[in-house]
Amino acid sequence: MADTRDFKARQIKIKEIHKPSSFEGALWAVQGITDARVIYHAPPGCYLMQHMNALCNEWHPEIYSTLVSYAEVMQGTGEKLDAMVKQVVAEKPKAIIVITSPVIEITGDDVQGAVAASGYENLIVIRPPLGGTLAEGKEGAFLGLMDLMKPACQQVPRTVNLIGPTYNTFNWRADVFELTRMLSAIGVNVNAVIAADCTVAQIERAPQAALNVCVYPYDCGIVFAQRMEQQYGTPFKAAHVPIGFRESAAWLSDIAAFFSIEAQPYIAREVTRGRDFITTLLVTNTFFEAQAALSTDNCDTYSVGISSFLNRELGMKICMAAVSTEAAAAAISHICPNVLVNPSIDEKKNLLLELSPTIILGNYYDLKIAADLGFKNFLFADIPLIGYIFSETTPFMGFMGAQHLVQAIGNEIYTKIFIETKGELEGAISAGEIPWELDAERALGRIAELLPHFIRSIALKKIHQVADETAQQRNSPVTLEILQDVALKYTPTRFKAKYATIFNNTREAAADSEHSAQPVFTMSWEQAAREMLAMVPAEFRAVAAQETENYAREHQYHRITAAVVEEYRKKLGF
Amino acid sequence: MPFKSYEHCCSSCIALANLGKIEGVIPILHGPQACTFGNQIGSMFCRPSRLLTIGTTLKKSEVIFGGEGKLKEQIITVYNQYKPKIVVIINTCVPQLIGEDLKGVIMEVKQEIPELKVTFCETGFNQPKSTPLGNDVSWRALVDVLEPQDLSTGSVGIVCRAGQDADSMGCLTSLLREAGITTYAFPAGHIDEMAKIVKAEFLCPVHLVPYLTCKRLNERFGSKTHYFELPVGVEGTSQFLRSVAALTGCQKLREIVEREEKRAKPRLQKIQEQFRKNPLRVLLVSGPANETSIGKILAEFGAQVIIVPSMRNQFARKEQNILKQRYGSQVIFHEEDFDTVLQLVDRYRPDVVFGDFQARVEVIRMLIPCHINENYLNEYGYDYALDFGEHFFESLKMQVFNEWKDIMQYYA
Repeated sequence: MADTRDFKARQIKIKEIHKPSSFEGALWAVQGITDARVIYHAPPGCYLMQHMNALCNEWHPEIYSTLVSYAEVMQGTGEKLDAMVKQVVAEKPKAIIVITSPVIEITGDDVQGAVAASGYENLIVIRPPLGGTLAEGKEGAFLGLMDLMKPACQQVPRTVNLIGPTYNTFNWRADVFELTRMLSAIGVNVNAVIAADCTVAQIERAPQAALNVCVYPYDCGIVFAQRMEQQYGTPFKAAHVPIGFRESAAWLSDIAAFFSIEAQPYIAREVTRGRDFITTLLVTNTFFEAQAALSTDNCDTYSVGISSFLNRELGMKICMAAVSTEAAAAAISHICPNVLVNPSIDEKKNLLLELSPTIILGNYYDLKIAADLGFKNFLFADIPLIGYIFSETTPFMGFMGAQHLVQAIGNEIYTKIFIETKGELEGAISAGEIPWELDAERALGRIAELLPHFIRSIALKKIHQVADETAQQRNSPVTLEILQDVALKYTPTRFKAKYATIFNNTREAAADSEHSAQPVFTMSWEQAAREMLAMVPAEFRAVAAQETENYAREHQYHRITAAVVEEYRKKLGF
Repeated sequence: MPFKSYEHCCSSCIALANLGKIEGVIPILHGPQACTFGNQIGSMFCRPSRLLTIGTTLKKSEVIFGGEGKLKEQIITVYNQYKPKIVVIINTCVPQLIGEDLKGVIMEVKQEIPELKVTFCETGFNQPKSTPLGNDVSWRALVDVLEPQDLSTGSVGIVCRAGQDADSMGCLTSLLREAGITTYAFPAGHIDEMAKIVKAEFLCPVHLVPYLTCKRLNERFGSKTHYFELPVGVEGTSQFLRSVAALTGCQKLREIVEREEKRAKPRLQKIQEQFRKNPLRVLLVSGPANETSIGKILAEFGAQVIIVPSMRNQFARKEQNILKQRYGSQVIFHEEDFDTVLQLVDRYRPDVVFGDFQARVEVIRMLIPCHINENYLNEYGYDYALDFGEHFFESLKMQVFNEWKDIMQYYA
């Protein structure tokens, strides 16, 4: 029997699962300790997804797991964990770090008790909070690593710890490489990176560093740095995000000043090089007339740093930014009118359509949205990713990072915009002599004003050509409707909203003009004469009526007849 | 004499770019490989389709013994593949120097393919005014082979500068058509449409460049050339259109001008107010002849303008006189010799420089905004100027230059 009940759907907001949790944060934070063993106390599925994700984005990430079964979860996972720890101890790692998974957090197993029996000295248990954020997971893990640290006998002069980079932080490898290079150029060494590609020994001696530097101050590391300051007296710096030439110089100057190092000659060389670079033709041509949308809400530090750099030093408009905290939103809002905090995919999509950025920086989901909506220019700048080859060569941070960002963004926009304006390599240039209606001709001029100067004349050619071809296919002149179809088809998203304004205004103006261009009869017209007038093209009818009446008055005709119209036509040479 | 040429590209390249925008016309670059490669890349920037360049790529032996045979072969190959209506030989420096017998080649081809028209333009050694002269000679070459058509009484031919203007003259032609004036635009995207220029009773050039083109049209078809002024900016466009109205006796066009001025003038006044609040001195250096047109627009806005003109033909002289009369000392024409644009910058201390690429590399490192002339094309009509003016200060991006001045002062 058919179900005839009338169901009303509840108003549920779909929460897209594209933001990593505290469990990811904790795992990513500790996976990078190369001579430690990470045990993910989790069912097989959780472990598999985490390890696969890491393998697709990092060089050689290793994770062990207890692979707990349903029965084990029901009866208690302590024994399994204990056995696992004993096996791992036999490998003699420098440390063992146990991360609990959501299932274990729900059952509330006494994980600490379970591993205590092993007696292993360097064994840390990290329990990420259920419902916690990525940043909370990382911060918790960093704090857990403090158990490995040993008080410093002596501080090593001119050394820093870089706090914050972890596995699966977008582009950390190249950023750390560049920041290390910059520090080295002024005689400062990196004692430890907490905690990507570091060793247990480096963590143990972290308190020996003279200074902690928080690399991602809008994301994680500050709580940890504060705790290290309390416990070991290690001061920290977190005031600057080293993205762009200015902020990279400020970051390095700040550190140099701390160590009383004369870094001015080196910094001067770098910023002079930066000035020479950004004043090249293609850079200013491209950036001055472009706008970017930043969807980097899994790395607020990038959102803040990149938006400031692109806007202040390159003149690029930031039309939209997605962040995950109010602090980041506040840092960006003075240069970006549309800042979204933890937006949904739909919210991003709607704003992108409205704002039509020239380039989008984001993650895999953003790439998919961009592709679906027809945006062509995209740069990866955030996680999550379904896989990515990261190297040390493409930083976003530091002086090299500033150059790389400009290169990547500029080339993406410049080349693709030109390709968009071209027809086929051996294609036809014009469809032939196709008449254009006046409205359409005027609307084309309005469209021109939307286009960046450096591609304006050639981009218009493409629209003109396609409009001609379309009109030819329809066996008609180019009308406003055809031009609108072509304009939308040519760039379906970038100028959609703006094009609509052009066509609506043009139609209104045409309606007004047509209304005001109605013939005004100040003399009596016989029907036959009116019918002859109706054969005159609409845009000339009002003038024709007026001129005919003027002619009639000059020749003392008191009424407009067909004969009068015919006489006037002959006089004009028709 | 300047240390280098401050121009967009060589005459051959601009001729290629021009002719490569007309359906029904195929240009052939007659010259060595270097010419073909350089000009192909250079013209890729602006050609809409048919991006491959045909050339004769003359070798050393052909330079010594003559490349006519290869040229003839190439023309026939092109015809067989593409069936163009017109082939234009772009005669570059090397074949010009060795005195290739192009007319002989053309005669021989005509015997084999009577339906194909072949013509040539000489683009070698055109310096200074390499770019604008390349425009002019390439159009003149086309005019050489156009067929006569019946003159259309009272019709107007708009003669433009470059291939970029093809199918982009709606800002003027739409107004003329609305007024009921039969209008032909030259160039156009299709050779059949472009060829109708010969029907125009009056030729009204809208740029300084096409002097030789207009002269040839007059010689071959009896069209009367009337250079009024550059139809750029509000006043320039209005005066141009009023002159056309007077020429054709079209009252409707006068009414259209009044209507457009009513629409444009309030916006112009706002722009002028901006320029009053932010006085500017602008140096415009020999672009592809639009240094004068953009300078004219800026002068109307109220900027002080220094123009290093690229053209010195009759049209250019007339335009200079108009600007001097209209704007007095607000417009300076710098005609003296100079070594580098930087010298001119030192002399005139402009706030903004409009130049071509070679000027930029001198100026921009001083963090002075430097726009590229080549970006400011199709600059005709009311709306181009209004849009340009309304976005001008924003487009300068002074805040970026100030930011960098600050960075350099602080850190370097």
